Amino acid sequence: MSVKKKVLLTVKNLKKYFPVKAGVFMRTVDYVKAVDDISFYINEGETLGIVGESGCGKSTTAAVILRLEKATAGKVIFEGKDVFSLKRRELREIRQKMQIIFQDPYSSLNPRMTAVDIIGEPLEIYGLVKNKKERSEKVKDLLSKVGLGKEYIKHYPHEFSGGQRQRIGIARALALNPKLIIADEPVSALDVSIQSQIINLLKELQDEFGLSYLFIAHNLSVIKHISDRVSVMYLGKIVEMADKKEFYVYPIHPYSQSLLSAIPIPDPTYKKERIILEGDVPNPVNPPSGCRFHPRCPKAMDICSQKEPEFKEYGNKHFAACHLL
Amino acid sequence: MVREKLVELKNLKTYFYIEEGIVKAVDGVDFEIYPGETLGIAGESGCGKSVTALSIMRLLPEPPGKIVDGEIYFKGKNLLKLEPEEMRKIRGNDISMIFQEPMTSLNPVFTVGNQISEAILNHKDIKHKEAIEQTVEILRKVGIPLPEKRINEYPHQMSGGMNQRVMIAMAISCTPQLLIADEPTTALDVTTQAQILNLINGLKDRFNMAIMMITHDLGVIAEIADRVAVMYTGKIVEYADVKTLFANPKHPYTWGLMKSIPRIDKDVESLYTIPGIVPNLFDFSKGCNCCGFNTRCLLADDKCFTEEPEIKEVDEGHKVKCWHIDKLEELKKI
Repeated sequence: MSVKKKVLLTVKNLKKYFPVKAGVFMRTVDYVKAVDDISFYINEGETLGIVGESGCGKSTTAAVILRLEKATAGKVIFEGKDVFSLKRRELREIRQKMQIIFQDPYSSLNPRMTAVDIIGEPLEIYGLVKNKKERSEKVKDLLSKVGLGKEYIKHYPHEFSGGQRQRIGIARALALNPKLIIADEPVSALDVSIQSQIINLLKELQDEFGLSYLFIAHNLSVIKHISDRVSVMYLGKIVEMADKKEFYVYPIHPYSQSLLSAIPIPDPTYKKERIILEGDVPNPVNPPSGCRFHPRCPKAMDICSQKEPEFKEYGNKHFAACHLL
Repeated sequence: MVREKLVELKNLKTYFYIEEGIVKAVDGVDFEIYPGETLGIAGESGCGKSVTALSIMRLLPEPPGKIVDGEIYFKGKNLLKLEPEEMRKIRGNDISMIFQEPMTSLNPVFTVGNQISEAILNHKDIKHKEAIEQTVEILRKVGIPLPEKRINEYPHQMSGGMNQRVMIAMAISCTPQLLIADEPTTALDVTTQAQILNLINGLKDRFNMAIMMITHDLGVIAEIADRVAVMYTGKIVEYADVKTLFANPKHPYTWGLMKSIPRIDKDVESLYTIPGIVPNLFDFSKGCNCCGFNTRCLLADDKCFTEEPEIKEVDEGHKVKCWHIDKLEELKKI
């Protein structure tokens, strides 16, 4: 008997275009179509991995969901509420439940604030602590949850290593007891031997607190380890989305296939057919016509440059946008 | 058959003298590179791999850096004893280097063509026109489309992958015998990384170039290296051919590192982790006759804190710097 999962977050036809201004009068001459009509959902307690290379729109997606950037079009429904139409007070309430961990542990912490200030700030803003003593207690508790000793409470960011700073970022994200944490490349800037510590920590916290994650990364191995479901972005579009096991065994979109084949395997005896793509990722200001991937696709047909493929299901909750299928 | 060594490092020590103290970035490193082979230097940030490369190229900022001991032989000549003039003839010509961040390693105010032909004209006595022709050819060789147009472009007009190809073009323009690549694909997307690694391998075969590939990515090492030196806190802790290293790592750090990487070809519940963090190089450099990995090692005992491990040759060509190689074998069985 399968447990019916409850949907926590729904993203519908989301778009974010950045205007390109030029000329003496700074007129808008074009748009960077960073996110161009994407839809997905995340269930409670689940991790959706979003994978894609630089410029595909994954970080912009995160910013728009949290209303750190204003969407150009589309809807985001969180716990049944339309996030974009919330008034200030309601938005403030919802923001408690949607938190973010950033990629760069060196620039995402205020260098002039101590650990207790950084982690305690959200507690103060939301009135969850009455005084400094209570704040200190809560912060120490959060620090221990992320594996940092309470003696670090008065330290400044520069006194911590990259991995430790990332733990502080995680503690800060946990402070308000969120339901959803958007993790934007949380381990990319860390050394290999530290990455595994942080990934394990995130998984433990998810189990302990019933968190949902939107986990953004370009490293497919990391995504595989932590996600329940995976979606692949290319130039502002989602090209494939499936359950993790399904995706890694049966990737159906040519871009996903080449991404998976490009990963160097730490095993010198592993022989495989490499799919090497031609050319570079094109400019999102002028995306290719039809299917955006067609100029680099080893299996492109005529129709691919003429018509955009539809994002459809191919059984087993496995979605893709490709004319070959 | 005894092969002639192209490069040989003997007990290289490079220290940095700064206000807070001395940082022993490279502290007694030995290795060899043979013609036409790829030596991978694997390690995480702060282990000394980049400083080793800069020491070979004599590109260290001096002060605060200083090569305090050791010898670097290239084709039998000790590079550390050369006059700046002589070194300049070798740098960019016999030994070339490519760096991690292509966007910031190229000069933003000169065209790509200008930068490559400058490298050529530095070492070859030819006319400017011919240097440009050679530049176009090299750009073609590294897979840049329409090279005649590209030579007039600036680095910022190209993507990261293209810039890295330009850097490679510059580095191979004088067909060096050794190419030092310092994390050449870390800043690139995975599909671009695959292209660049493919390119480097192709060029290596074509020009019979030796490569010193510096990276923290064990996948890249497995793919491209013939032999590997694993570095930690300024020393080489394990040294072996690539197949042996991955099949049978003998140093706890190497073993731990391999186990902690998330694998696309394997499924695990929880990733193995190496506890703790890399020691602060200031504190560590203050002097300890010990093993740098001791605070993070499951097998460490008193000896690891009081005596620096000897290098043991466990097999032909397989060297390990550890007191407890046998204990690791026991641990592996669990």
